[in-house]
Amino acid sequence: MQSFIGGSIRLGQRQGFPRWNRAQFKSSAKAYLPSQSSSNAVQGTNNSIKSPNNHLLQFLGTTFVSQANGVCSVPVLSPLAAMMSSSSSIYMTTAAFPNMHSSEPFPDVPTRIKFKRLDKTAKHIMQIVDKEAVEEVKRQRDVPEIKPGYIVQLKVEVPENKRRLSTIKGIVIARRNAGLNTTFRIRRMVAGVGVESLFPLYSPNIKEIKVLDKKKVRRAKLYYLRNKMNALR
Amino acid sequence: MIQPQTHLNVADNSGARELMCIRVIGASNRRYAHIGDVIVAVIKEAVPNTPLERSEVIRAVIVRTSKELKRDNGMIIRYDDNAAVVIDQEGNPKGTRIFGAIARELRQLNFTKIVSLAPEVL
Repeated sequence: MQSFIGGSIRLGQRQGFPRWNRAQFKSSAKAYLPSQSSSNAVQGTNNSIKSPNNHLLQFLGTTFVSQANGVCSVPVLSPLAAMMSSSSSIYMTTAAFPNMHSSEPFPDVPTRIKFKRLDKTAKHIMQIVDKEAVEEVKRQRDVPEIKPGYIVQLKVEVPENKRRLSTIKGIVIARRNAGLNTTFRIRRMVAGVGVESLFPLYSPNIKEIKVLDKKKVRRAKLYYLRNKMNALR
Repeated sequence: MIQPQTHLNVADNSGARELMCIRVIGASNRRYAHIGDVIVAVIKEAVPNTPLERSEVIRAVIVRTSKELKRDNGMIIRYDDNAAVVIDQEGNPKGTRIFGAIARELRQLNFTKIVSLAPEVL
């Protein structure tokens, strides 16, 4: 039960409540809750903490208690509607319940990070893996920001042409964000014919990207350039 | 994606200016032709005083398409027009010069003469 108070105080602090609440809170809470804090009770509550449903009820109980400005009422089971409309969303935090076995893949994490419920974290695993892969590539190579309207010059390595890198210079007409598969389209004139090439931004074949100029455009995709004769590019 | 009735530009100096595809060579009932495929075409427009004349049926290889050409490294190339090079039965180009950019895939398909004449190989 002690940990319940401690956890709820920490949660209350999280909500940005002033410090004076703490003193009032502690004194009144002790009066209402059972005085003997046996180890059985602690373990009992700790075990019940682990199931997410019970956590919801406890969290709600703390919001009810803390919002009552020190007057501690018995935590009431609120209906589902109130649960949904409560301002704080439903998630587990590792700081409030320190004896939660963390099966999330981040062992050393600042206390303020939020985690979704375990079954919700599974949906985001691919997003996390993707972000890590992108950061990995960015560490190895310097990838500048590329937006539509930029004139860029690429040095692309072609497997057949191992002697030297081919230089590609053109205007970026589109960019599609998809994590590691972020692609961008370059439009240029080659020997009198307009050519559009699409490259993956984090491809290992692209050895260097240099931004030469930035044109002001009011669009994300500049497909209208296909009908305009872009003479020089 | 070139199919019968498609008009194509001609990318060499063989004498033809515009071709119309009438058949895609390959399997029977083959729907579309892409870069590197051979088609049977009829000449719709020709340069005067050249060996090739209008409404002559010839073979050509497609070198540029508006439909994207995908590569294994994730690169995609898309040209602004559809173009072909007139060839004979063996696969040698009838003209002596090639205009415009040519895709690298033609080299693997044994059109080396075309690739060597090209001003730019993409």
